Amino acid sequence: MMKLHTRLTLPFMLVLGLAACEPDKPVPPTPIPPANTTGTLRVTLVPEWEGQPLERFVEYRNFMDYRTTVEVLKLYLGDVRLVQGTDTVAVKDVDLYDLGNGVVSKDWTATAGSWTSLRAALAVPDDLNYADPANYGAGHPLSVSNGTYWTWATGYRYVVFEGRYDTDPASTTPLVTSYAIHPGMGPSYVEFDLVPAGGITITAGETTELVVRVAVDRFFHSDTDQIDLETENTAHGNNVPLQVKFVNNVVKSMTLE
Amino acid sequence: MNRVTLVLLLVLVLAACRKDPALQEPERDGPFPLELPIGFPFPDVPEDNPLTTASVQLGKALFFDPRLSRDGTISCASCHLPSLAFSDGVALSSGIEGRMGVRNSPPLGNVAYHNNFFRDGGVPTLEMQVIAPIHDPVEMDHDIQVAAASLRDVEPYKRLSMLAYGRPMDAWVLTRAIANYERTLISGWSRWDRWMNGDATAMSTSEVRGWQLFNSAELNCIGCHSGFDLSDHGFHNIGQYLEYTDPGRERISLLAEDFGKFKTPSLRNVARTAPYMHDGTMATLDEVLDHFASGGQPHPNRSPLLQTFVLDAQQRADLLAFLNALNDERSLDQVP
Repeated sequence: MMKLHTRLTLPFMLVLGLAACEPDKPVPPTPIPPANTTGTLRVTLVPEWEGQPLERFVEYRNFMDYRTTVEVLKLYLGDVRLVQGTDTVAVKDVDLYDLGNGVVSKDWTATAGSWTSLRAALAVPDDLNYADPANYGAGHPLSVSNGTYWTWATGYRYVVFEGRYDTDPASTTPLVTSYAIHPGMGPSYVEFDLVPAGGITITAGETTELVVRVAVDRFFHSDTDQIDLETENTAHGNNVPLQVKFVNNVVKSMTLE
Repeated sequence: MNRVTLVLLLVLVLAACRKDPALQEPERDGPFPLELPIGFPFPDVPEDNPLTTASVQLGKALFFDPRLSRDGTISCASCHLPSLAFSDGVALSSGIEGRMGVRNSPPLGNVAYHNNFFRDGGVPTLEMQVIAPIHDPVEMDHDIQVAAASLRDVEPYKRLSMLAYGRPMDAWVLTRAIANYERTLISGWSRWDRWMNGDATAMSTSEVRGWQLFNSAELNCIGCHSGFDLSDHGFHNIGQYLEYTDPGRERISLLAEDFGKFKTPSLRNVARTAPYMHDGTMATLDEVLDHFASGGQPHPNRSPLLQTFVLDAQQRADLLAFLNALNDERSLDQVP
């Protein structure tokens, strides 16, 4: 009788014991939209100076014939949306383009369909702009490691544009005087639309690319706003008039290929 | 199979289930036993950063660690010395490689009760404040992500990070831990506090007269230095200059009316926190009294609360005696 009991109990206990050793079930991954309803939107920014690839530290002449270099160029695109009439669909909350080393592409998941334009802010949306940056690890567009966060005031520089200049076109000495234009905070928040002639078609499972040429030489002048580096060379969240002129010029510098 | 075999097998099975020592239940953390002076409310604490013993121990270790700076020479405590009520005794502090800052290092007592930080109030939480000195090129000139990563596997950080926050050291943990340590720096242990709480012998008659002057309509110090922290935590232009080089609050608000306004400092431990003003240009409390007695420079944004007054020698001595009675009689640091 005892042996029978033992034979029945032992396998049961073994199963029970081993079951107790089963590792925790893995946390299911965050669901992603089904692939048959989304494609990839690749937005490529091509920084140029008068039609040629922009090169950092290379001396150019700006529209006032000032000797000018570009040392840092980073910009945010935020609240990126595809637009069809009055309908919009969100594509990306925020991404950072570091254009200092040339062309940069970003791939975003986008809803399949036909759209008339892409809308974005040259900025970080407010709900993200004032969040705690310690929430974002290295590699995230909003990481403090990117050098775009204003630690003393919270919020991000929407654009970081820095370099050197000399107002004397005939001088040959090394460029010393620096400019640093950092729009950010509320007044310089600006949205813009990129409208391709044939619209934007996102096909499920495929990649659609928009190539945007950024004429950096036009950051200093547009049909409405001119920036004279001699007197307008610094904005760190302050100097709102310069910030506003600058972001308007940046938006106007962008053209679709 | 006999009973012995059965028992052995069961023991074997159960032993196999024993947790890996590395996965043992962690040490237990608990609320930090914060001591508060009579009448002080418990400070607000963010939901994601409860004031636990492990978190403040971790924060204290980080606060004193120069590895938070790029070259390993500057810690938070370099400019916030416990012996000087967590200020540093110089007009402007120097960061790594002797780089000079532009504002006077403020004392840290009672920052748990502030709702914005820095002289211009640009940062809304203690947690976010932690990032600024680490990244400031004239302070620590480091990257908080890099600093945190370098300490991740170093004790006591490795153990305390897991104990306090259940995750390895990173920027999120680092900011929260230092913020919590700073929250424990409570100042409310002065003779003035004892006197206010009914100990009539705690202050001398001269100090009491000074306190009365402080409250008088003529001096109206209490107009800004009010409440248990002796500060309204507001922003005022005190006519220190006709032309300020530091825009103060305007740098944050972008409003012209805020130009030259700075946050009202607490007067607790004021005798230990010289030099004074946002730029540390007044070396003594006598100089400060002279400034306020003069009414300050007629800057367009000068506070209407400022008014000229005259102090005779006895009144000046009484007022200075009272200000000295605001020194804490014990350390602000409650963390062993």
